[in-house]
Amino acid sequence: MSVTTSTTIRTTAARAEGVSKFYGSGDAAVAALKDVDVDLDAGRFTAIMGPSGSGKSTLLHMLAGLDRPTSGEVYVGDTRITSLNDKALTLLRRDQIGFVFQSFNLLPTMTAAENIVLPIRIAGRKPDDFWVQSIVEKLGLTDRLDHRPTELSGGQQQRVAAARALASRPQIIFADEPTGALDSTSGTELLGFLRTAVKELGQTVVMVTHDPTAASYADRVLFLADGHVVDEMDEPTADAVLDFMKHLGA
Amino acid sequence: MFIATLRGMLAHKVRLGLTIASIALGVAFLAGTLVLTDTMRLAFDQLFGKVSAGTDAVVRAEAAYTQSEGTGTSRGPIPASVLQQVRTVDGVRAAEGSVSGYALLTDNAGRAVLTSGGAPTMGYSMPADTTLRGDVKVLTGAAPSGPHQVAIDATSAEEHHIALGSTIKVLFQGPAQEFTVVGTVGFGGEKNLGGTTSAYFDSATAQRVLGSPEVFDAINVSADDGVSQAELVQRIDTSLPDGAEAVTGDTVVKESADAVDKDLKFVRIIFMIFAGIALFVGSFIIWNTFTMTVTQRSREIALLRAIGATRRQVSRSLIIEALLLGVLASGVGIGIGLLVAEGLKLLMDVIGFSLPSTSMQVEPRTIWVSLLVGTIVTVVAALVPAMRATKVLPVEALRDAVPGAGNPSRKRVVTGVVLTGLGLAGLFSTLYGDVSMKLFGPSLLGIIVGVITLLPVAARPLASLIGVPLRLRGLSGELARQNAMRNPRRTASTAAALMVGLTLVVSMGVFASSLKSSFGDIIGGSTNADLFVTASSTQAPGFSPEVIKVVKDVPGVRQVSASAWGQARFDGTDSGYSAIDPATAADGLNLRLSSGAISDLGTDGVIVAQSAATSHGWKVGDTIRTEFAETGKHVLHVVGVYDSKGWIGDDFVISIAAQTAAAGQQLTSSGLVTLVDGADTATVQKAITAALADHPDAKVLDRKGFEKEASGFIDKLLTFVTVMLALAVLIALLGIVNTLVLSVFERTRELGLLRAVGMTRGQVRAMVRWESVVISLIGALAGAGLGIGLGLALSQALADEGIEAISIPGFQVALYVVLAAVAGVLAAVGPARSAAKVDVLQAVVAD
Repeated sequence: MSVTTSTTIRTTAARAEGVSKFYGSGDAAVAALKDVDVDLDAGRFTAIMGPSGSGKSTLLHMLAGLDRPTSGEVYVGDTRITSLNDKALTLLRRDQIGFVFQSFNLLPTMTAAENIVLPIRIAGRKPDDFWVQSIVEKLGLTDRLDHRPTELSGGQQQRVAAARALASRPQIIFADEPTGALDSTSGTELLGFLRTAVKELGQTVVMVTHDPTAASYADRVLFLADGHVVDEMDEPTADAVLDFMKHLGA
Repeated sequence: MFIATLRGMLAHKVRLGLTIASIALGVAFLAGTLVLTDTMRLAFDQLFGKVSAGTDAVVRAEAAYTQSEGTGTSRGPIPASVLQQVRTVDGVRAAEGSVSGYALLTDNAGRAVLTSGGAPTMGYSMPADTTLRGDVKVLTGAAPSGPHQVAIDATSAEEHHIALGSTIKVLFQGPAQEFTVVGTVGFGGEKNLGGTTSAYFDSATAQRVLGSPEVFDAINVSADDGVSQAELVQRIDTSLPDGAEAVTGDTVVKESADAVDKDLKFVRIIFMIFAGIALFVGSFIIWNTFTMTVTQRSREIALLRAIGATRRQVSRSLIIEALLLGVLASGVGIGIGLLVAEGLKLLMDVIGFSLPSTSMQVEPRTIWVSLLVGTIVTVVAALVPAMRATKVLPVEALRDAVPGAGNPSRKRVVTGVVLTGLGLAGLFSTLYGDVSMKLFGPSLLGIIVGVITLLPVAARPLASLIGVPLRLRGLSGELARQNAMRNPRRTASTAAALMVGLTLVVSMGVFASSLKSSFGDIIGGSTNADLFVTASSTQAPGFSPEVIKVVKDVPGVRQVSASAWGQARFDGTDSGYSAIDPATAADGLNLRLSSGAISDLGTDGVIVAQSAATSHGWKVGDTIRTEFAETGKHVLHVVGVYDSKGWIGDDFVISIAAQTAAAGQQLTSSGLVTLVDGADTATVQKAITAALADHPDAKVLDRKGFEKEASGFIDKLLTFVTVMLALAVLIALLGIVNTLVLSVFERTRELGLLRAVGMTRGQVRAMVRWESVVISLIGALAGAGLGIGLGLALSQALADEGIEAISIPGFQVALYVVLAAVAGVLAAVGPARSAAKVDVLQAVVAD
């Protein structure tokens, strides 16, 4: 167990308080999350790890306002999102949150450039061209902007998704197994970029993964098992994470 | 495989419901048509049965030939003397002469008792023998006897408050006369005879007012007990003079029923055409559904293929699905058909074509024809998609199938261009070349099918163009535009259904509009009349010739020229003819003779239209062998060739004197009035109206009034056709709903993604709605364009008949397009709602 080395006071980008999630009802109810408390620091790269069925994706969905907890509260910034109606929640996702999913991240009818500015266009705003261009350059997508998703490789598609997540300067970016469908080179590139986004652009990134190597790119790792946060680790290395996972019996 | 098919169908209830509805509506139209015409037929059969019950044999003049149109063949009269001979025949219990003819009742205030829907106003002789009356029963009062008594149908008496013992005037072809009402008459259980008004007189009075004293129309005979109809006819026949024949009562009933059946056949064909259009439009939806299910199910199909299902099994499964769907939809359609039959009857009533009725008749033929047609249409429409399904490769099970756009093939472009080209070539050569007009219809069909074939090619640019204003609606609009463009084939086949409906509606509108605006020119060009005397109801067959005499005496009238109408066989072909009065015609009528003279008509002359003269090579001095049903063969001499069809629309014009000689005196159909110099039209019109107070069967109109009345009639017909076509448009809208539902289902993940990254439910709904509007507008604009083209072609094709002005009802067409867009919004309500409800997590959770 490593010790927290930083003593800086951090602000919270998102927070879960006593969040539980049950699927089904009565005797048939299955608990995916049981009374989870999590604080996600702003400006850091947090990984959520755990074996299949540990509830890690469910927790991400709750934090990102994609699903509602059975009980407990979720905050994004200072907003208690569990009390928001669908419309307000949708607008919050649009303006405050960026997403990178495992697959099917992009609209097939739109070009890469159009996909990147999608949330901004949905909001009916003008994209910040300078900002968007700098992201595109960082991701090496400059000569791919006019291509449609079907004309891009899996790695390129995920990089477009990452650019989209960043384009509107959200409070927090959620990534759900972003490297799950990628080869290792592409995966490494994407993780490197997410890390850069945190270090150089000051973004907050929360990523669900089951890959210890991916987790090692994070500043902090939360471990979930059977719907509980069982432990956490700061400044993880791939080996340390792997050891811990073995210990968890994954 | 069968169980899998069944499960698959039940899994998609909305899709199932919509596809069933689209075919069921078409089948309902078909079934409704059959039910209605069967019902009408039975009603008429019952009617004739009632009148003729009790008559075992009928003696009548032999007809020269059997006329092809109209109810029954007109025959010459039979001499009254024959009656005495018939009465002496052994086995004849009773025989009486019968006479019938035009008799218009008026109420106690002198107003005409008019019928709705062109049912005739008739006068009959009332047989003295009660058996010969058949089901014609005196309900109240007594049977008429003597020259001043009349019995009328109970409906007329009740609805117009004509009391027994009161005096009414009855109008005939000859002078009108006043009668005392002595009784009311019913027919079996009915109070009138299929909507007609009836006046009954005793035999001698009927001869005097309806025919002439020496003759009867026919002689009705009742047999002694134990003498069969056939036997009776045989015995009578031997005693008859030449030119007379005896037939059984059953034969007469059957002939009448057959004649009606011919008319009904026409009605049936008209309705069938509309039913066919509805089914055609419905087949697009079936096609679309199957194409989309095949695409969506490609993984399922590929899986089936991977685990060893043969291509044949896959396509068979889809065909079975279509078969089940067809049978189910047809069954539902037959049920709705009963409602449609009622609706059609109501519609006919509303536009003024009342029909006799009885309980709705559902014959076995209706059921199997509807089932067969509905099922075949469904299976045929599903055939191509089913074949395509077999091409799904097992490996596709592994792919995450985002159904692709699929660009239109070269073959499609070539086929479409060739069909449209041939259609256009055919159209222009029939309109402006020497090619037979028989090619006109196929050419139009070629163009329509060609355009349908090409629509997928045009769909993408069209959607792009129509979608331009949507950019103003922000991203929802932009995405809607892209969605409409992404699968042009689907967009096209959805829009094509609407296009077909709108093409027909718009072309009818253009045609009617051209017809209306030509009407003034037609009348102006072909008559010099200042006023027009016409029948008081547009559907009445005409008015008494007495009217002309009355109008002639009105101060300010210089001349009034009568015309009548009839049918005869000219040079072996049945054709309508106009009869005019050569002495007065030149004054009001402008025939523009290219050769000959109207005054040469006499009683054996004929003036032929230029077009008929050209095609038959007739010229002045030639003879035309003509047959009149009433009197047989005549030889007519061509005394003129006329140019300007308009007021007169027939190929043949003879004199009224010739008509009276050959076919007996007929009702006058119109009178053209010219005024003396300096007379004021309005004043004279008033004077004529006053003079016609005693003649409620006719009225006088000025040119404007006449045009208005005519265009009112055109509007009525147009309304009828539009209502008929509205069903096809409705089916097309169901098709849009269907396509949207399927598209939404197909794009679940996309919608989820959009929702995840911040699209609100409202924006999602707007996106689906605008896509629907784009599809509707593609159909509407293509339909409007095509419809205007076809309407113009149709008008041009009838330029010879006087439709020279071309008019496009711009406002009406624009209205249709706007309505289509609104309908698109409505069609999108359900699908938009389900799109907005898509579970966001579905997009996030990879399967």
